[in-house]
Amino acid sequence: MRFYLLVALILAALFFQVTLLNFISLWGVKPELVLIIVSFNAFLRGSREGALVGFLAGLFADLAMGSYIGLNALSLMAAGYLVGLTESKLYKDSVLIIMVLVWLSSFAAQLLNYILLTMVDVYISPGVALFNVILPSATYTALVAPLFYGSFYRSNQKGWLYVDSKI
Amino acid sequence: MYRNNTKKVILLGVLVIFMLTLMSYTKFGRVGVSPMESALKDLFAPVQGLAMNLGHRLRGLVSFPFTVVNAADENQLMKKKIAELEGRLRQYEEVRAENERLKKSLEFKTGVAPVMGYELTGAAVVGRDPGNWFGVISINKGTKDGLKLNQVVLNDLGLIGRITSVTGNTAEVLLITDPRSGVAALIQQGRTPGMVEGVASSPGRLKMVHIPIGAEVGRGQVVVTSGFGSLFPKGIPIGRILTTEREASGLFNSAMIEPYVDVNRLEEVMVIIGSRAPKDGNKVAVLPFPWGEGNADLRGRSPASIRAGEQSGVVVR
Repeated sequence: MRFYLLVALILAALFFQVTLLNFISLWGVKPELVLIIVSFNAFLRGSREGALVGFLAGLFADLAMGSYIGLNALSLMAAGYLVGLTESKLYKDSVLIIMVLVWLSSFAAQLLNYILLTMVDVYISPGVALFNVILPSATYTALVAPLFYGSFYRSNQKGWLYVDSKI
Repeated sequence: MYRNNTKKVILLGVLVIFMLTLMSYTKFGRVGVSPMESALKDLFAPVQGLAMNLGHRLRGLVSFPFTVVNAADENQLMKKKIAELEGRLRQYEEVRAENERLKKSLEFKTGVAPVMGYELTGAAVVGRDPGNWFGVISINKGTKDGLKLNQVVLNDLGLIGRITSVTGNTAEVLLITDPRSGVAALIQQGRTPGMVEGVASSPGRLKMVHIPIGAEVGRGQVVVTSGFGSLFPKGIPIGRILTTEREASGLFNSAMIEPYVDVNRLEEVMVIIGSRAPKDGNKVAVLPFPWGEGNADLRGRSPASIRAGEQSGVVVR
């Protein structure tokens, strides 16, 4: 049940990302809702599940546009894994901690995206990539993350996302 | 324990190599869409269209509280009345804006397009690339409406992009602001050639590169498609030059361009599905700016101010 709910959440986030979020884009970027869910889940469930859910979520995002399939799958898998490493090390009630974590995971995922894109002949100047995409995207996503963390955390502790076993 | 870790590393390595191969195989520019992708895109297109429509309405709704924040001291009845009237006005504004857009499209379709020799079909934007790296939109028309790969997408203000993937009922458009996009262009005033490229995630900026040194290039000059190559017909307005600088190689100049079309706020677009002999010759002089010499009073103004309708005219009222 938990797995299906997570998949539904990811698909809903992806749907919003493809449609409605374009209306609140700032500096040419929109917040990455899918990455937010991947980061939350990894932070609360650990690196193994973080990587797995990140991979699946990224694959859905890749399939949504149909090109460079594997790009987001690999970058979100890495982001999920990295955030998951902090599972047992950080205080989980702090909004500041989750903002910093989401910022770092978005930064890492976008940086990996950039490296992977150069491997498939998409060359973007490093300055443009950093200042036009990576930094604004990470900042906007980190600012949006606290809006959803409370609900996700409560659901994970005693709601629909709560289960004893991991995926 | 050691053996277990080795197995995991090998599995991860295989997965990464497989995904990298898949990425290369599905990279931008491949010809054709698999039947499964085609079916999925056609299935989700109407839902995406509804969501985009909802988004336009929500945008108005979200901005609404800011317009009534100064009415805090009014009584409850007045607030309710104001909210109701504001709601009606918002609906009216939405209808009026849509009417204006469609009117402009019609004017373009019956005015500019025949003179330029374009045969057009209109389409609505139903989705965008989920990430922040690329500029790709989905539109709600496909092969059933006569759309094909590489057809040019534009609106009454100028060039938008070209079709890079098409299914029965949908098509994907690579915007000119995408870093993978390249358009052969020239500066209208001096006929100076160059190549217009997209800038990743930039809020509406383009870069024109390979401008010969010595060419007279200045702020405010209009950039149009040159027609070199076979994709983009000649004479479609792209944007206006903001700044110029010497390229790193020292052999050419480059220029930052503000496009006439705000690709981040697109709702309807038009696709050139065919061409015929221009009606009454190529009467460039009678076309509205930026297509021709008409409305010269708009020439010095920025595309953003034209889009925002700061001054009445043919382009935006």
